[in-house]
Amino acid sequence: MNKVLKITLIVNILSVFILSFSNFIFAAETKPKKNLYEDTEVYMRLVLRTPEQLIAFYQGREFKQEAIDKILETCYVTPIVKNKKFDVLWLELDSWQFLDINNKPISRIKRDYWKEQWQEIKLKRAHQSTFGWTLMPEVRDLRFDEGVGGSVILPWQTKPFTVIANFPTGADKNGPVKSVTFKGVECKTDIEQE
Amino acid sequence: MQNRYRAGISVALFFLCFLLSQNSIAEASLPKGLMKLDGRPALPLVLNNMDEETFDLSKKKGRWLFVHFWAAWCGPCRREMPKIQAIFPKFDPAKLEIVLVNTAESEDTVFSFLGSVAPDLNPLMDTDGLVTEAWQPRGLPATFFVDPNGKLQYLALGGRDWTEPEYLDFLNKLIK
Repeated sequence: MNKVLKITLIVNILSVFILSFSNFIFAAETKPKKNLYEDTEVYMRLVLRTPEQLIAFYQGREFKQEAIDKILETCYVTPIVKNKKFDVLWLELDSWQFLDINNKPISRIKRDYWKEQWQEIKLKRAHQSTFGWTLMPEVRDLRFDEGVGGSVILPWQTKPFTVIANFPTGADKNGPVKSVTFKGVECKTDIEQE
Repeated sequence: MQNRYRAGISVALFFLCFLLSQNSIAEASLPKGLMKLDGRPALPLVLNNMDEETFDLSKKKGRWLFVHFWAAWCGPCRREMPKIQAIFPKFDPAKLEIVLVNTAESEDTVFSFLGSVAPDLNPLMDTDGLVTEAWQPRGLPATFFVDPNGKLQYLALGGRDWTEPEYLDFLNKLIK
């Protein structure tokens, strides 16, 4: 085989290899990720916490076991939201919908419930404060480029559910309502794999 | 007499323009993530640091205060803290004092975290979290800027790299 042919063959083999590899990378990048939504207006992701993660967090902060037991009866959904376009994107948790597999509403567990629970078990004031800061704010006027994250707590669900996040827009809420839907969201158990 | 009158007016106008330009520079060129507040008086802030020394915000007039609320469990707070440590020696506390307020954590937790990333910082301990709740930051971390008259002027949302030129420039402009 002459030298030119040899070089051409090597270049061809290398090209095929590089092309296949780049396709593989591209496919991996473009595969839609579960519980992630992003467009030019909003970034939103849902993180589901496993009981093990919750125990680690609260035990690490010396929460009493009674408090941890109450937390473990629930399903922690942690949305992370970023306003990428609007002058104001309104986070108003009361306008979000949580629907079970039969499209029946699931009531989220609100701050008042937790306040009662913590008073009942006499949870330390500092721990009540820490718990409160880990929750998603009820209302927030997210400015352009501002993000927010925190936990929204639901009763434990054994089946997948739907989260519909509605965001009024504009300083006076006169803009269009931005709506993001996640279907097939599941409460996490320790035995699940990512 | 008329010349003196004119000169007086010119000087007054010069100072007025100077003051306006200072304000407009600060507001027009706010770095990313900083928002202007309405200048209402800062809420009381009387807390002890880890050496049991009392800090009282009402006794700190005449200087800018960088009042930073944080907790070691919060990821963005952990990432931001080394940057606050890095700018700490750059500012004379008589002009711009950096004040950290830890929200509802134990001394052990705070000491073990700050000891490794920000050994020069001695935070105020909001042990029950009530001061933080009263100040109502938009989540943690959050930094309020209190002017030399005790008024809230700016709020930095979330964490950031304070060593970046745009933020250092902002801080330097405050104390000019």
